[in-house]
Formats: sequence, C-alpha cells, structure tokens
Amino acid sequence: MAQGATIAPGLTSFLKSLKTTPVDPSVEHFTSLLKRRQIRSSRPCAIATVALLLRVVIEFKGKDAAKLMERIRQVGRRMISAQPRELVVGNMVRRVLGLVREVVDENADVETNAASDNAHSHHDSLTRPNLNSSISNFSPLKHVATEPTDSNLSQSEHMSDSGELYRRPSLLTSHTSYAPTSNALMVHSLFGLFSQPETPSTSSTPTGHQSPDRKGMLTSLNLERLANLSMSNTTIDLRAEVMDGIKELQDELEQSDELIAANALDHIHSNEIILTHTASTTVQKFLLAAARKRKFTVVHAETYPHDHTATHGILLTGKKRESHQDDEDDVWKPLTAAGIQVVVIPDSHVFAIMSRVSKVILATHTVLANGGLVAAAGARMIAKAAKDHQTPVVVVSGVYKLSPVYPFDIEELIEYGDAGKTVPYEDGDFVEKVDVENPLYDYVPADLVDLYITNLGGHAPSYLYRIVADHYRTEDITL
Amino acid sequence: MPPKGKRGHANDKPKSGEDERDEPLQAVILADPFETRFSPFTLERPRCLLPLANTPLIEYTFEFLASAGVEEVFVYCGAHREQVEDYINRSKWVSRSSPFAKLELIQSTSNSIGDAMRDLDSRGLLIGDFIMVYGDVVSNLPLESALAAHRARRTKDKNAIMTMVLRAAGTSHRTKARSVNPVFVIDPSKDRCLHFEQMPNKDGSNFLSIDSELLSSNQELDVRQDLIDAGIDICTPDVLALWSDNFDFQAPRKGFLHSVLKDYELNGKTIHTHIVTDHYAARVRNLHAYDAVSKDITSRWAYPLCPDSNLIQGQSYRLQKGNIYKEDGVILARDCVINSKTVIGRGTSIGEKSVISNSIIGRNCYIGRGVTIDGAYIWDHASIADGTTVKRAIVANEASLGKKCIVEPGALISYGVIIKDGVTVRGESRITRAKRRRENGEDLDEGKSDPEVVGEGGGGFEFHDSDEDDEDEVVDGLVHRQPMYNLSHHNLSNESISTLNSDSEADFQVSHHTPSSSFLSTTSQDSDHAANFDHDATGSIYDSLVEGHETANIQLELTALRMSTNASDHQVRRAIIVSFVKRLSQLVKSGTSVKDAVVQVFKQHKDLIERSIFDKNTSVKSDQVDFLLLLQTELTHRENGNMILVSVATKLIELDVIGDDGLMQWWDSPKSSEGEDMRKVKEKTRQLVDFLNQSSEEESEDDDEEDSD
Repeated sequence: MAQGATIAPGLTSFLKSLKTTPVDPSVEHFTSLLKRRQIRSSRPCAIATVALLLRVVIEFKGKDAAKLMERIRQVGRRMISAQPRELVVGNMVRRVLGLVREVVDENADVETNAASDNAHSHHDSLTRPNLNSSISNFSPLKHVATEPTDSNLSQSEHMSDSGELYRRPSLLTSHTSYAPTSNALMVHSLFGLFSQPETPSTSSTPTGHQSPDRKGMLTSLNLERLANLSMSNTTIDLRAEVMDGIKELQDELEQSDELIAANALDHIHSNEIILTHTASTTVQKFLLAAARKRKFTVVHAETYPHDHTATHGILLTGKKRESHQDDEDDVWKPLTAAGIQVVVIPDSHVFAIMSRVSKVILATHTVLANGGLVAAAGARMIAKAAKDHQTPVVVVSGVYKLSPVYPFDIEELIEYGDAGKTVPYEDGDFVEKVDVENPLYDYVPADLVDLYITNLGGHAPSYLYRIVADHYRTEDITL
Repeated sequence: MPPKGKRGHANDKPKSGEDERDEPLQAVILADPFETRFSPFTLERPRCLLPLANTPLIEYTFEFLASAGVEEVFVYCGAHREQVEDYINRSKWVSRSSPFAKLELIQSTSNSIGDAMRDLDSRGLLIGDFIMVYGDVVSNLPLESALAAHRARRTKDKNAIMTMVLRAAGTSHRTKARSVNPVFVIDPSKDRCLHFEQMPNKDGSNFLSIDSELLSSNQELDVRQDLIDAGIDICTPDVLALWSDNFDFQAPRKGFLHSVLKDYELNGKTIHTHIVTDHYAARVRNLHAYDAVSKDITSRWAYPLCPDSNLIQGQSYRLQKGNIYKEDGVILARDCVINSKTVIGRGTSIGEKSVISNSIIGRNCYIGRGVTIDGAYIWDHASIADGTTVKRAIVANEASLGKKCIVEPGALISYGVIIKDGVTVRGESRITRAKRRRENGEDLDEGKSDPEVVGEGGGGFEFHDSDEDDEDEVVDGLVHRQPMYNLSHHNLSNESISTLNSDSEADFQVSHHTPSSSFLSTTSQDSDHAANFDHDATGSIYDSLVEGHETANIQLELTALRMSTNASDHQVRRAIIVSFVKRLSQLVKSGTSVKDAVVQVFKQHKDLIERSIFDKNTSVKSDQVDFLLLLQTELTHRENGNMILVSVATKLIELDVIGDDGLMQWWDSPKSSEGEDMRKVKEKTRQLVDFLNQSSEEESEDDDEEDSD
C-alpha cells in the first residue's frame, strides 16, 4: 500500500524532482536532504551533486565562463556548508569547476595561438625558478594538496607547439578519470613508478610531456585568458562542452565499481582469507569479480551498530535493507551464491581472527590527500590489528571519493551519530547520567594502509597526492 | 457482515490505490496547544517560536514533517498569530524550495484543541489521511512504516481511524511526562488501543479501571505506561468528523481518545498504536520537557536533529569533542572554561574565568567574568554581568542580570527583565515585564517594576496570572508554586484543558450536584451511564451554545448521547435546562439584559426544547410540567432566578413550546410549591399565570375545564 506519497524523500525523489524544479530550489532541497541525512554516504551524494551541477550548467544563460564558474562555486559552497563532512560533494564541485577551466583553456588555446609565442617565452622564464618552491608544496603540512602548478595551462601551452591533434586525448585522460581499462595513460609521473610496485599500471611509461619540469605558475595568464574569453569568444559552445564533461563524470561514477572490480583478480588469490567490513557496494563487487574465477573465504565484520542491518542484508540477499532507492545496481547476487564462504563476525573478534586473515579489504567514506582515509567506525581498529599481524590492508575506493583535503583536524571530519544506536534510549537512568558518543567514522592514517585500488588502478598511499593533483585544479581547492 | 465487509474492501482497494497517488500527504500542526505552561514567556511570544537549542521549536516540527515526505501542511495558530505568520513567511518553508507544496496558516478563535479540530472539519481541507502533530514535537522518526501500517489497516477495516505513534521509554525517563502518566491498554495482536487513562486521575488516585469486558474478550492485553506520547497521530478524516459529533471533546487524549475508546460499542471506531523502539520522539509540552529535550538534542539522541545540523539558514554550529557546539564568531576569553554539552551561538562573548557547562547560550549574549552557568538556558541578546551564578534557569531574550547575582534553580526570567547587582532570584520566581495581553486588548502593558524582586532600579516584577479566567490560574498556580525542575511532583495536567472545559466542569459540579441532592432524590436513581449522560450532555450543549452551533447539530449530538447512555427524557430535559440556564446566567452576568438573553438562548434553540417534550397532544402535560419544574429548581440557586423564570416562561409560551395549560398544570402542581426556595422563585410568575387565566377566559369558554382545576 505504501506508494508514492508515503515514500520518504531521498536520492530517488530528489533526482526525480530535479528534472522539473529550477536550480535554486533544488539546491535548497538538496541541502535540506543532506542536513536531514536523507542523502548520505559518498555515492548518493556524488550522484546528486553531479546531477545538480548539470542542471546548473544547463540553466546557465550567457556565455561567460567566469560567471559560470562563479555560479558553480556559489552553488557548491551552499552544498558543502550544508554537510561539510560529506567531502564528496566538494570533490564533485571541484571536478566540475576543473571541467569548465579545461574547456576554457582549450578554447583559449585556439584563440590565442598567435599569442602563444609570447606566452611560451614567458613561461620558460617563469617555470624554472618556481620548481624548487613548488616541490615543497608536496609536503602534507599544507592544508590541501595541490599540484604546484597549473598543469593544464602549461600543458596546453606546451601543446600549442605540437598542435590540436595531440592534446585531445590527453585532455580526457588527465581530467576525468573515466577511461577505458587501459591504465597506461594514467600514470603521469615518475613518482608513480617507484611507489606502486604491485599494480599493473607500473608497466606504463610515464608520458614525458607531463613531467613536472614544465609546470609554471601562470595563474595570472590564465585569468587573463578567462577575461579575454569572456569578452571575445562567442564561437564555442561552453555549455555543451561542460555538459559533455559532466556526463563523462557521471559515467565515471557509474562505472567506477566495475573498473575497480576489474583489478580483483590481481589482488585476490585462491584460498585466501579476506577480511572486510560494512555493506559497501564497491567491496562486494570487487569480491564478486574475484569469486568468478577463484575460491576464497570472506570474513565479514558486521560493523555494529550503524551498518549491521545493511551488512546482514547484503550478505543474505544481496540487497541493503535500508536503501529505498531501487537502483538496479543495488541488487546483485550475494557472495554466498557465488560459492564463497562468508563468515560474519562481530567487530570485537577482529583482532582474534586477524592472525588467520591474509588480506584486509576496506571500504571507505572518503580518501584524503595524505593517503589517510575516513571510513566507517571500526575501520581503524581493523587496520591497526592488521598492522600488528603484518596483514596487508587494501582500500578500494572510486577516485570520486578522493578529496584534496588534508586532515588537519580529524575531529572535524568525523561525524557523531545517534547515541541511541549504542545505548537504548529506553534506559532512562543511563540517558540521564551517562554521556554517550557514537562516532560514525574512523580516521585511518596513511601508514596503516598498504594499497589503494581506485578505478585508475592501484596506488600507494604516498602517491595519492598526485592523483589529487591530476583531478583538482589549484584554484578550486578552496571554494 | 462478512460479505459486506468484503465488498467494501474490494471496492475500496483500487480506489484508494488511485487516490493515494493523487492525494498528497497532509499534516496539521497545532501550533498553539492552548495552554499556559510556558508563562511568562508565552505572554510575548508564541510557544512554537521559543528557542530550543537556539532553534525555534516549530522548525523541528517542520523538519519532522518534511522528512516524513509530507506535502501539504496546515498550521493552526492561536495566540500571537502575527508572529507565527511573520516567522513562517520568512522561513524557508514557504520558499520555492520548500518541501511542502502547500503551507497554510489557519487562524481561528478557538480556544481548545477540540474547537480547533471541529473548525478544521468544517473547513474541509483535509481529504485523505493526515498527520496531526503539535507545534512542539521533536522527532526523527521515519513515518513510513507507521503510515504503511495505518493504510493497511484502513483498507482492511474502515473503522480503524487513527494510529498513534508512541515511543517506548522504560519505566523512568526524563523525556517522559512526569506528573501525569498516560496509560495505554493495548491489544498487542492487533496493535489496537483498547483503553486510555491518565494517572493520577481526577481524584488524584493511581487507579486504572479496566472494563471487565476487555479482560474477557481479549486473550492478551498490554497495559503500558512506559510510552512517550509525542502526540503524533495519523488520522483519517473520520477523526475530525468524530470530533465534530462530540462537542464536548476538548483534549485529544483525555477527552477524545478516552471517550472514543469507551464508546467503541456506539461508534465502532478503533484506534491503533504504533510503538517504536528506536529513533526519537518527544514533545516539548512543559518546561520540564523543554529541559529534557534540550539535553537530548545536545547529547545527539535526536540525531540528525542536532545543533550542528544547522537547521535554519545562517546557522553555523560546529561540533567539538564532548558535545560542545559553537557557532562561528564566538568570543571566548582565554581562561574561560567551556564544559561538555554546551551550545553557544554567534556573537556571544564569554569573559575570563567564566565556567559554562550543560547550558545553551543564544546569539549575541554577553557573559562577563567569573560567571558560572550550569544547566541554564540563556536566550539571544541576554547579558550576564561579572560574578553572577545561574543554575538551571531560563534567561530570556534581552534580559540582563547584574553583577554578583544568584539565580537559583528553577527561576524563569522573561524578556527584557533587568535584575540589578547582587540580587538573588529565588527558584520559584517567574519575573516578567509584560502583563497579559488580553487584559487591555491591545499591546502589551509594561507592568510596574517591583524593586523587591529585581533590585532598585531594575525592570520586571513577579509574574502573577491576574487574568480573570480562573481556570488559567489553576494551571499557572501549579507552575508557580513549584520550581520548574523539581517536577517529580509537578501536578500539571498532561493534556491541555481548555478554558471552557474546566470552566464548564467546575460550574457543572455546582449546578449538578446541588439539584441532585434536593431534586434528584425525588426521581429514581439513575444508572452509571445516565450519570455520565448528565455530565456529557450538559457540557456539550453548553459548549455548543457558547460557540453558537446550529440547533440541529446540538440535537444530533444530544440524541446520540441519549441513545448511547440510554438516558430518559427527563434527563434530556434536565441537561437542556441546566446548560441553557447556565448560559443564560452567564450572558446576564456579562451585561446582557435578561430579556435579550432569554431571546438569544431560548428562541434560537426552541427546537431543542420542543423535541424534548412529547405531550403536546395529550391533556395531561406531564412533560411540560416536568420541564418547568426542572427550570424552577435550577433557578432556585441562581441570581434573579425569579426574574429569569418569568421571562423564560413568557418566552416559552410565546414560542408555543409550552402551552397555556402546561403552565397552569405546573403552577398548580404540588411539587412546584415545595420548600421556601421554590416558592420564592415561583412567586413572580403569578402575574403571567393570572394574565393567562384572564386571556384564556376571554378568548374562549371551551378551555375552561382545562384552565381551572
């Protein structure tokens, strides 16, 4: 009997309403859903944010890129302030901003080809001295990890010599991580070579034109171009190009799980005992992909009290019980149906069983630029236990969860939930006299993690700053 | 019966299925629960706008409804409507981004919940099932399952008219209502509520009387008093109809629920419960609950309704370890101490060596040096000077406390009160600057400051509810005499009792019990039911008279009551008389002349009397005589009883409700001359009788034999 009217608002209803409502009310709608936690956790947040930004772009009248960016930024700020702990929202806003910049740069390239000589010489004189200082920027002490330079700008400059043909493909790969399974193009730096020995992508050759030595801090030039563009350019269809970019981003969100799962066979071997936690879609798909070829055992910590119902659901039926959005990818065969033995344990047994576990696979809420991660409460305990037993810890996460934020104040990142989940509210005396804290997330420092597997492949924690730099533009780090 | 039920079911299902898609989920917020629990704060502000953890109460209600997916909301305002309206119009709930497709304010003159419900019914705004909540509910309950259960029940049985959402809460709980214990008797197999009672009941005893039939007809019974009743009801429009049918219902639980369950045989309606064991639901029904719910919110029991969710636009609370919430722009001295469970709003500055714990402090407050604040609620723009101690008290907006004051637990300091240096505010005091609005009809009157309370040169005085409505005093007096926090023996009635209800009840006791000693004894003793009838019918007719309901409605109501309690005609007449006379004397007291009052009451509702008299065509007018006797008896202890009797009798003759012969028979009946009082009242009517004698003699000789006896 419960139909349309009774369904509580959530991602599905938001996406539905998005089609018909203008942007500003939709932003309000989204922020209130975020505040009420009716849209929560990374993937729904990311999907909603990107869908909303797509609307922003569609509704944007006018051709001024600077104005469009300002608009996106303004909308983004509202969304982020609604729920600052959902870092994914900020990530998506930055990605879209990056897209706009990219389109602008690309067109600026065409337009200012003539001026490029001038720019080029300028660029030469500027880049060299910048290099040293920019290296120090890699230090995690900086609040946000940024690539020292505006890679896209310098890239386009570099390419103004080599011509249009050359830059098209690289554009795609460097700014949206949606890419066919080939990882060859992903690795942009020599750093990657040394820091990720396990991944298949090591085989790829770093593409020379992106080595750090040609970066230049040419933001001023960039701004100039923006200004130029807004005045002169009417030929390009800014909106259409940005929309294409956003659609690619949506595809990335959609396919990141599959891309991650494609790595499964490299990491999960026969007869291994894998320990994991929470009802993460990404992890389940990852394990299922491996289960097609190999037989192994999964030990699942139930993550009481936040996620245990969903965990039980996902293991028994393949469906998170609590999710009312009927995404088609919410339903799949449970692991046991694939012939995998699954053992559910309470979180307290993790340490006891760790000695027999050969690999820990963690799902995550957000990955931070320093290689640490914010994951469901209990993750740190698991990671610590694994460290004690020298068990490798693998974190699977889409690149969209990767945030350019450094964990200065860990408390800021961790959300505290309903105290009633840990202690029954019925217990009046207890409620009256005891303060109950119930953190929803744990911060797991980078040194407890051995490997990240994203839709781009495997990376060492120390390498993540590079991926951050590839995906987020310096100018957009602070919104 | 079964085939019929089945057919109804079959017809119903597709229809309701279609309807539901079109019908938006509606909700009614009773923003004014018609009570004075929050005096003196509610003198100047509507209750639903009082800040709870620095967010107006009604925001929580809206959040709750929005998260339940409600689309149309009707806000029922009472006092301070302009403020509520103003607030809502500026809020996000009316903007285009509002989750509500429709948000309507309803203003009415009603002064009880019962009246509000009847008014709602007459407006016909609610088409399908709707959620009824108060403007002070704080809850994060997902209503989906409750709604689904309600609908499932409803398709099966049309008479399942209401589902109450209740939260289990153990035997003792701070958020539960302290003084009154609502007890629900539930059939767990059907989740049906069979009986409801509040303890202690009227006479202060902790008894629960359960109908023996309930015990014999149900295999299982749950008697539960461990439930937090947050006043969240899922209702069908039938509920409103039921309210309308019963004019005497005032309070939703004690009145409506209790009676509907009691009269199950009569109306066949069932009311169900939906008991949840997780999530949060509570009502800020009094100051004690205010305290408890505030604590729940800061300790994140009501998550995600926490300060750091920043429900209102422009809030920027952040959570720090130990449940400390601070907004941006808080100025803290280097060595002030902020302990756990504290909320501090923007622009507040706290001086050196001050210690704040378990408190909620609003925006732009000034807190001096060496101040100790523990468990207190300081609202916006308040200022507290150096060295003052405030414990477990409320300091409202713009109030200012001087240096080295001591505010004892339980004190309430209302808007703009100025307390001078060194004053000790006692725990039970409620200091205000405003006098009640109703007294002079216009803007708030600033009362004269009482230097004994606030110190020389201060502003404010001890709050006394000087209103002429006695019943208010009862409630207020209780708050007044007892410190707000030591509420374990706090004796507030749980549900709001409207002014009218308690008024009529009190009056009724006088008017009913007195005759029952002198008069009822002459008739056969009535059954239990019948005694109920007297009470119910009188109350309901009186209310209807006051509210000016249609005669036909009153008649309907009366008939229903008569049928249900199997009351005699005599009782009906008595009920009519008692209520009419009460209304009459009230009108007279308020300045209407006796004549006008009689016209107003009796002429308008003459049908009612006519329908209670069945001897028009017989020669012995026993009913008419009975009627007049009752009237006479009733008037013996009223002021100007004799005057009223004359005018009433004249009017009745004029209206042809009572025939000449009826009057004569009464005049001559021995009962009418029994006792001093009766004779006194009767005396004045002699003129009328004489006049009638004359006129009838003149008119016709035929009537002689009837007239003279």
